[in-house]
Amino acid sequence: MSGDLEQPGPAQEQTSKIRIQFITRDTDHELPAEASAPILVATKFRRYALSTLINTLLDTPTPVPFEFLILGQFLRTSIEDFLTANGISAETTLTVEYVRALIPPLHVASFEHDSWVSAIDVLSGSSPASIWTNNSPGVPSGQEKILSGSDDGLLRIWNMSSEVEAISSVSHNNHITNAKFLSPTRVVSASFDRTIRLWKYESMPDFGPTSTLTPSVELYGHKASVDSIAVHAPSSRLLSASQDHTVGIWSSKKTDAPPAPQSLLPSSSNKRRKLNPNPNSVSQRGSLALMTGHTASVTSVSFAPNDPTVAYSSSLDHTLRTWDLATRTLVDTRTTAHALSCLTPLQDLGLVATGTDARSIILIDPRASATAVSALTLRGHTGTVWALSTDPSSAYGLASGALDSTVRIWDVRAARPGSGGIGAPEVECVYTIERESGRGRKKPVRGDEVKVFGIVWDGEVGVVSAGSDKRVQVNRSPQGVRDS
Amino acid sequence: NIDPEALLPKLPSPDELRPFPTVCSVLFKGHKGGVRSVAIDPSGLFLASGGDDGAVMIWELRSGRQLYTVNIADEPVNVVKWRPSKDTMVLSAAAGEAIYLLAPFSIMSPEVENLSREVLDAGWGYAATSSTNGTSSVQKEPAAKWSRPESKLLDQGVLVKISVRAPVKAIDWHRRGDYFSTVSPKGQSSAVAIHTLSKHLTQLPFRRLKGLAQTAQFHPSKPIFFVATQHTIRSYDLSRQELIKILQPGARWISSFDVHPGGDNLIVGSYDRRLLWHDLDLSTRPYKTLRYHKKAIRAVKYHHGGLPLFADASDDGTVQIFHGKVVEDMMENATIVPLKVLKGHKVTDKSLGVFDVDWHPREPWCVSAGADGTCRLWC
Ligand SMILES: [Mg+2]
Repeated sequence: MSGDLEQPGPAQEQTSKIRIQFITRDTDHELPAEASAPILVATKFRRYALSTLINTLLDTPTPVPFEFLILGQFLRTSIEDFLTANGISAETTLTVEYVRALIPPLHVASFEHDSWVSAIDVLSGSSPASIWTNNSPGVPSGQEKILSGSDDGLLRIWNMSSEVEAISSVSHNNHITNAKFLSPTRVVSASFDRTIRLWKYESMPDFGPTSTLTPSVELYGHKASVDSIAVHAPSSRLLSASQDHTVGIWSSKKTDAPPAPQSLLPSSSNKRRKLNPNPNSVSQRGSLALMTGHTASVTSVSFAPNDPTVAYSSSLDHTLRTWDLATRTLVDTRTTAHALSCLTPLQDLGLVATGTDARSIILIDPRASATAVSALTLRGHTGTVWALSTDPSSAYGLASGALDSTVRIWDVRAARPGSGGIGAPEVECVYTIERESGRGRKKPVRGDEVKVFGIVWDGEVGVVSAGSDKRVQVNRSPQGVRDS
Repeated sequence: NIDPEALLPKLPSPDELRPFPTVCSVLFKGHKGGVRSVAIDPSGLFLASGGDDGAVMIWELRSGRQLYTVNIADEPVNVVKWRPSKDTMVLSAAAGEAIYLLAPFSIMSPEVENLSREVLDAGWGYAATSSTNGTSSVQKEPAAKWSRPESKLLDQGVLVKISVRAPVKAIDWHRRGDYFSTVSPKGQSSAVAIHTLSKHLTQLPFRRLKGLAQTAQFHPSKPIFFVATQHTIRSYDLSRQELIKILQPGARWISSFDVHPGGDNLIVGSYDRRLLWHDLDLSTRPYKTLRYHKKAIRAVKYHHGGLPLFADASDDGTVQIFHGKVVEDMMENATIVPLKVLKGHKVTDKSLGVFDVDWHPREPWCVSAGADGTCRLWC
């Protein structure tokens, strides 16, 4: 019993208070030492009043909206109602974590295609491709580009006015699964046609807003669909994940790449196969290595954020594997209960997020010393989680695209104990982005939803997603709120 | 007063028996008219379907993407089955009185394409050089004619056409991928045929079958062959060419059966709505009879990738999932628990529901083929 508490009684009810210890993991918004002790707060307070309070304590020049986590749950009611609902005594000191609020991004634009779109990437001032080139020539605000790859085998580059600036001069022989900017002038794509292709992206200032996207190198080596690629321009390395169970290592430099294996070239197979129109005699090259270990289709691959000589891969064989790229060997295998469909490392947390065919996202500690495979489980999707992307402005934020018509935004700090007190803690999503293409239409039956195959969360452009509604959809938080 | 229920062994609850499929993950739309048959390829990545529209389609299983379509006939494709091999990619499909062997090369690597073409083309000329089929020369016409399909089909990878005497309703491949059986219920003495791919040879080993043949299957590991007629399932020793056993499921009209991968148990589905489990060690009568469907059962299938699951498909529009754990101990019976009723397929005006069901080779996922024109992946 604390003597500081006011006596309960009808007269005092309106000013009932609770002692709160505010904490945060947002390093930009830590309370000054003199304000870090527990504070008495009226229990009638809701999120907005608490946010105002934190802004006062922080003395922020412009208000930053905050959300509040208590026992892994976002505060959606008054503190009083939260205490009642969770059976918490008002006499305890309550630990409340404040996090910068994620503002639901609004629909900004949709780019229509003729076929399903799986591949998506963004070139902006803060995207990896421009950072690698020290932002030279640089991408001014409003001049960002969006790269899409679709089932017609074509790549397109869009400007922020929803115009196609460039379309690839040749097409892949089957649907494009993944595409990335390697630099502001280079693009790489992967396809079900088993190839990875490097492209030159050149603007043609003399011809207005049009640009060209022409092939430079075709990479052969995989014996089945290439489902995912990862790029690291400073080391000129590409990684690939294939349905042939291997993880490929490739050089993005033509001169460093070994010759292509003759047996895999289209010209060596039968005549009926459409020969690739090869007007510029595009170079054909092979892989530096195809690493074996997975026992089923590899769905995704990524460089370790802090060390480009380490890679992670996810597979339908239920494993997340760690590879040493210098020695080209398998370092570690983490086995889960489910087929894994995608992955993205969470740099500051030392975890890897993987999407599953069991409609969940699992955060895995890839270190060999980790005792538990799964650190956190994110639940809410109702379809296979196909793509993941990290929040450019928070170490704890994650966006996921699934075969259930939705993109979901998560804050992994909102973690509650697992069901029945066993298993990894569980996280519920902060909000859901629906497909604009479904607006005003009847809800599709289970299994017939829009499939979101690609997602990129860019600091400038926002959450960009692509899917079976043949659209790229751009959602962005209202200006000035998130980055105030 | 003892409650008889209390004396029964307690069944585990479905929750304890996860994983098993619970929801529709992907809907496959493309066929015009009902889908008669579905099959997941040995890699687990591709789904083949055959429909009333005469089309054979191949889909990427997890994404639902349509990868390949060939209009193979002007009549329904009644059955599609993959050849059990990971080096080749060969699909068999039956429409009317013909069986087609396909290498859908647009979705495979040059290497797999070459191996697939080789395995399909190796038998050309065998029949011509060995003149008769090796057995008696009483046979007036060959049991089947192996030929090249028209160029329109050839261009799409349909490399072999086998014409038999009556419409084919069932195909089953021997595990090694050289033999496959077909069943033509109206074929009388040629109702059950066994085809040798490497020789392009068709034999009719069951000329005096009692009853109308419905479907047939190779034993998963022994040289034993099962043939179902309307009322019974006979097992034959293929090497000794003799009858081993006659199973009496007690069904009025058998539609389908599947042999457990262990080889000692078998499930039977019937048009009179019954699902029957036979323990081949125990009796010629079923060990268990399950009546959960309101309409005919058209297909039954065990999981063949190590999970203790089986499924059936019915004209009532549902697929039902069961736990079926076979114990090694000969004296102990299998534990059977109904797990889930999968609803979604629409029943048509003609009271047709789900035609077929197949399992993923590893995962607890199944696919179904509906009279409503859709296939569904359940995860
Ligand atoms: Mg037994």
